[in-house]
Amino acid sequence: MVDRPLDEAELVERARRGDLEAWETLVRAYQGIAFRTAYLLAGNAADAEEAAQDGFLKAYRAVGRFRRGSPLKPWLLRIVANEARNRRRSTGRRELLALRAAAEVRPGDAVPSPEAALLAREEQAHLLAAVEALGEDHRDVVACRYFLGLGEDETAAVLGIRAGTVKSRLARALARLRERLEVEE
Amino acid sequence: MSSLDQRLHELGRELAFPPEPNLAPTVLARIDRRPFPWRRAAPAFALAAIALGAALAVPQARSALERWFHLGGATVVRVETLPPAVERSQAGGLGRPVAVAEAERRLGFPLELPPLHGAPRVYMVGDSLSTVVLRAHGTTVLLSEFDSYGEQALKKLAIRGTIVEPAEVRGAQGLWIEGSPHTLSWIDRDTGYRERPIVIHGNVLLWLHGGLTLRLEGRLTKAQALDIARTVR
Repeated sequence: MVDRPLDEAELVERARRGDLEAWETLVRAYQGIAFRTAYLLAGNAADAEEAAQDGFLKAYRAVGRFRRGSPLKPWLLRIVANEARNRRRSTGRRELLALRAAAEVRPGDAVPSPEAALLAREEQAHLLAAVEALGEDHRDVVACRYFLGLGEDETAAVLGIRAGTVKSRLARALARLRERLEVEE
Repeated sequence: MSSLDQRLHELGRELAFPPEPNLAPTVLARIDRRPFPWRRAAPAFALAAIALGAALAVPQARSALERWFHLGGATVVRVETLPPAVERSQAGGLGRPVAVAEAERRLGFPLELPPLHGAPRVYMVGDSLSTVVLRAHGTTVLLSEFDSYGEQALKKLAIRGTIVEPAEVRGAQGLWIEGSPHTLSWIDRDTGYRERPIVIHGNVLLWLHGGLTLRLEGRLTKAQALDIARTVR
């Protein structure tokens, strides 16, 4: 008999029966996106790590009530997001997001001219500052959609709002960003 | 794709995230290894067994279980004798008063409400069960809301004399519970299994509303309860 990797539904089923190895596999699979979600919402690495950790723990305790057949990712991220936002609210501490160091060129990136690179960098810094200046609700939706790459339904689940609200908040956020960028330019 | 849309996607790829911590060892070390109530049941029978377990946990109810009804995040079990439970006045013991925004944040979904005059009074127990206090048909009515995704978030034990019958609210399934006192207990979504039976003397309408299970409690007739339920948006 050949061992095959277990699919997500099987892992969840096993975790429901108390199989810690199955839960560990799921934690490893989702810890990256969970930590990034928590970081964007909580605003600092220490709170994000704690929120993601607590989120996985609470999710394990609640996995018996996870609806079979539903996608696990939004359910998990929602629990983590709640933890992260609780921390943001209680500490009121949020560091500003930063761009990766300029020297970090990803494999496969075309190398632009120094002038073009500098210009692109400045534009990104402006855009990031404009995102940071948005209200919390708008910034969270932008972060979920663009920085975490979540779909509309996933964003709705993670933030605990309706898909229609995601759409309207995103439209308002983009309008504000456009206004702000036009003023700056 | 608008240019701003594209620029935001690119910005996302350029963000500096702190190094990703390895969470698995700490999470596993923190897991309480005691079995949860739902793990006592074989998965195929988990749903029924949880309801059964709720009744059998009460000595007086043993051998007296008749049948159970399941609706969204709620289960109603008919038993011969109710367990010892906390008596509460209708509006007492609902938890702590919170602002609507706070309740919605903790619940993780927006509250569904009938048309109201002024800000609603919202109370919360844990992070799973919110109750809004309303006035309708000259009486105080409680509207509780919880997410149906958590199976078995709420349980009710009803004795023989209590009417438990199907109801329908705008095409969605519901249950009407009327007559003798019955008990309510609930499971907290985040902190796991926690049971605290409370005696309910009013009538109750439970119904599905999108992904939520709603519960209306008060000294109402079925028609009055259905009238209020239909206005919840």
